[in-house]
Amino acid sequence: MTAARDFREGFVGMIPVCIGTAPFALVCGVGAAAAGASWWSALGMSAIMFSGAAQILAVQLLAAGAPLAVIVLTCFVAGLRFLMYSAAMAPYLRPLPQRWQQGLAFLLTDQAFAAGVRHFGAGHPPRQAARHYLGAGIALWSSWQVMNLAGYFVGNLIPATWSLDFAVPLCFIALVAPQFRAMPSIVAAVISGFAVLALAGLPMKLNLIAAGTLGIVAGTVADLAKERWTRR
Amino acid sequence: MDATLKLWAVIAIVGTLNYLSRLSFIAIFSRRHVPVLLARAFRYVPAAMLTALVLPMVVEASGGGAVRAASAVVPRIAAAIVAGFVGFRTHNTLKTLAAGMLSLWLLQAAIAWIG
Repeated sequence: MTAARDFREGFVGMIPVCIGTAPFALVCGVGAAAAGASWWSALGMSAIMFSGAAQILAVQLLAAGAPLAVIVLTCFVAGLRFLMYSAAMAPYLRPLPQRWQQGLAFLLTDQAFAAGVRHFGAGHPPRQAARHYLGAGIALWSSWQVMNLAGYFVGNLIPATWSLDFAVPLCFIALVAPQFRAMPSIVAAVISGFAVLALAGLPMKLNLIAAGTLGIVAGTVADLAKERWTRR
Repeated sequence: MDATLKLWAVIAIVGTLNYLSRLSFIAIFSRRHVPVLLARAFRYVPAAMLTALVLPMVVEASGGGAVRAASAVVPRIAAAIVAGFVGFRTHNTLKTLAAGMLSLWLLQAAIAWIG
């Protein structure tokens, strides 16, 4: 029974985050409808790609008549952060069977990653943390589909004055703000923040991956320097 | 190319690439040992990547990258700072969301009232 409880706790714990991502999903659904996709194509996109950033880019580029290769490359680059999330989750998922690793990998999103790192990092047994993560991931995935369809069918009824799009950065702020306790994390965020704005002119959202890399390097250097300093 | 076919080609290829990105290091490090320096670097992935995602959303117009008018951007930045403070103190998604949206609406109303 504890297995079901871990799953349920993960699922229920993610519901507030799902409410936070709901406006993002609505925006994706509105975009798919505006681009003239059928409802089942829109659902296929949200269910299989399962990435708000990639969905919005794909829809915009399709509507602009971009070639297939350009669309695929742009979405791939925007999704390169999943490589970093995968790397950061790898040590935690290592004790698990291969099938679990392959299944949990599909559910790896920004929100699932932030929650997963926190829960695995808290030192729970791997199996227990994995079931918790599975519950959280399925909560995110299913609510994402429901809200994408809601956005597809009725999203255009939401008035623009509500600034619902602002909920998207807010749910990322909720993920990142608790990180600002450790000095190297603050260094990583400040460098990454400067870089992403300074490099905003780069095509295909390359500024995202470049800034992320610079921030990670800066955080690691700060961590090493701090360690050397305290050892003296 | 037919529009529906092209859309499904995008879904299939991007879906596969996204999954392979998500699986990549999880699969690689299930057999190999994670290098010490890399394990240290991974700790700073959330702070760096999430900040890079958030900042453009706060200060830029969606999609284009063109900067919004100051009267539109200032409330967003102020509301984001309020939300960041609440998130830092509470670790709570819904409180962060509520604080951010309420601050934004209040500031927008105040700016509209001033003129």
